[in-house]
Amino acid sequence: MDDYVVSVLSNMGMISFLALSAYLLLLTGEISFGQQAYFAISAYLSAMATAMWGWPLWAGLLLGAAAAAFAASVIGVLTLRLRGLYFSIATLAFAEMVRLLFVIFHYQIEIDGEPVGPDGAEGFRDIRWVFENNISAFEYMVIIFLVLFIVLVLLFRLWRSRLGSIFRMLGEDTLLAEMQGLNVIRFKVLASGIAGFIAGIGGAFYAHFATYLEPQIFNVMLGVHGLVYGLIGGLGTALGPLIGVALDIGFLEAIRAIHGYRMIVFGGLVAVLLIFMPRGILDEERVHWIRMTWRRWRNVAR
Amino acid sequence: MTDFIQNCIDGVMIGSSYALLAIGFTIVFGVLRRLNLAYGPSIMLGAFVGTLLYVQFQAQILAVALVTVIGAVLAGMYVERLCFWAIRRGAALASMVSSFAIWMQLEEIAVIILPERTYPFPALTDLAPLEIGPYFLRSEHLTMFVVAVVLVIVVHAVLYRTRFGLAVRAVSENPDAARFMGINIDAVMFWAFAMVSAIGGIAGFLILATDQQVTPYFGLWATFKGLIAMMLGGMGSLPGAILGGLILGIVETQSLWYLGNDYKDLSAYFLLFLILIIRPGGIFGHAMSEREREALRRV
Repeated sequence: MDDYVVSVLSNMGMISFLALSAYLLLLTGEISFGQQAYFAISAYLSAMATAMWGWPLWAGLLLGAAAAAFAASVIGVLTLRLRGLYFSIATLAFAEMVRLLFVIFHYQIEIDGEPVGPDGAEGFRDIRWVFENNISAFEYMVIIFLVLFIVLVLLFRLWRSRLGSIFRMLGEDTLLAEMQGLNVIRFKVLASGIAGFIAGIGGAFYAHFATYLEPQIFNVMLGVHGLVYGLIGGLGTALGPLIGVALDIGFLEAIRAIHGYRMIVFGGLVAVLLIFMPRGILDEERVHWIRMTWRRWRNVAR
Repeated sequence: MTDFIQNCIDGVMIGSSYALLAIGFTIVFGVLRRLNLAYGPSIMLGAFVGTLLYVQFQAQILAVALVTVIGAVLAGMYVERLCFWAIRRGAALASMVSSFAIWMQLEEIAVIILPERTYPFPALTDLAPLEIGPYFLRSEHLTMFVVAVVLVIVVHAVLYRTRFGLAVRAVSENPDAARFMGINIDAVMFWAFAMVSAIGGIAGFLILATDQQVTPYFGLWATFKGLIAMMLGGMGSLPGAILGGLILGIVETQSLWYLGNDYKDLSAYFLLFLILIIRPGGIFGHAMSEREREALRRV
């Protein structure tokens, strides 16, 4: 595979974590404009761990994702009383606060006579762990997709588990869930934490892929994109967000021929798609239909 | 103390334009119960067409203003038809996503019209600032404030003194009941959208004429300033939108003055987050908790 394809695919893999994170919250009925905050927290923290403290990547990744999950749980507790648009805007405000805090965050140490570390708006340069450990771009992409696959499998299991139905129940009707005797607070915070963790994995991968971080990357646009992928792809399965990502990044790369007009074409296509499929491509109904058809086919084959 | 009062004056002046953006969001949200993310970008498209006239043909300021407003209204109508009218009611999320997709579209069109990063925008006046005792009042700010006050009065009159305003309020109160009363909901939504886009166009023009430059970031900026100001005050409330805009303006100027540029947006977002957590409905929002409303919905 040539470098260009590898980098596009890696990008798709990393942004998928963000999309899955927003998707999980959508399942519980919350629209978050702020998942990029956890992406950013983990990106910075994991990069600090590998570039400044000499940790291996997996440890940095776990630390970053754990910190992201912790931050997400705290925000989950703080925003418990908020519903609908108020929740969206509170998460947006938090994410922008995180981004702006990274603008004024300076913490550098000397390594080999060179200052290393986040330098406010100047960004965080030389996150070279992948390079120093002789991992090729292709291998790195494979690692990203392996982890993505594991997360997907876990999400599918979650979907079928009792916890999954509790999450969907929260999304459908919080009051009814509460009347069933569910501890709504605990499950909401749990969903928020898991979503933060997933976004954190993507952020850690991103930091070591880009080797350079600056606060501006983690602006609202990133979060809104992550959110929109799930809504375009459909909320019927965890594959929906991935379809959204593939459509956006993959399709945009494919139609490079119309460079300069591609957002006009793509934006229009999405708008028209949503008129006919307001719940995204793979919504619950279509997923059910596919499952039934698949079953019938299998029976016929037998 | 002088500094503090001076900042408050500037904040109120700037905040008046935020209030106009917030009013736009509030009315659309009240009538449609849906969020229009493309509000800022549609204003930006109008402003870019106006700027093109100014840069290419040295158009008069009034012509630029007129083109900006007309452009914003046309873009707004396009957004309404494609993202709100065409998508059936009840699919609020789809409308929001769709308006985001159209945002991307409008932004690209704007960049095609004017490919550079920044362009000059005509200044409204070149009068010297007004001096009142130790305080200064920039003439652009004063114009912005006066126009904003006039517009708020006009909007209030339209909403509370005309049949159209009655229809808008009826639809925001209860769409189904309004339909049974023979109100054409689609038409009300369309014209409310057009009105709001015109308000946005005027606000956008005033802001850009004060800054005297336009960039492609204006769409993002306008959308989120309006959204934040609306949420500060509480959704769907006209006084809330005005208060939210003014508070946002004052907080920004104060923190810019006392803490520096890095803290200007940070303190605004911090305040927003704090207010949402302490008073989940915004300052003017209804005190009724979500749980009670959910329970009432079922009765």
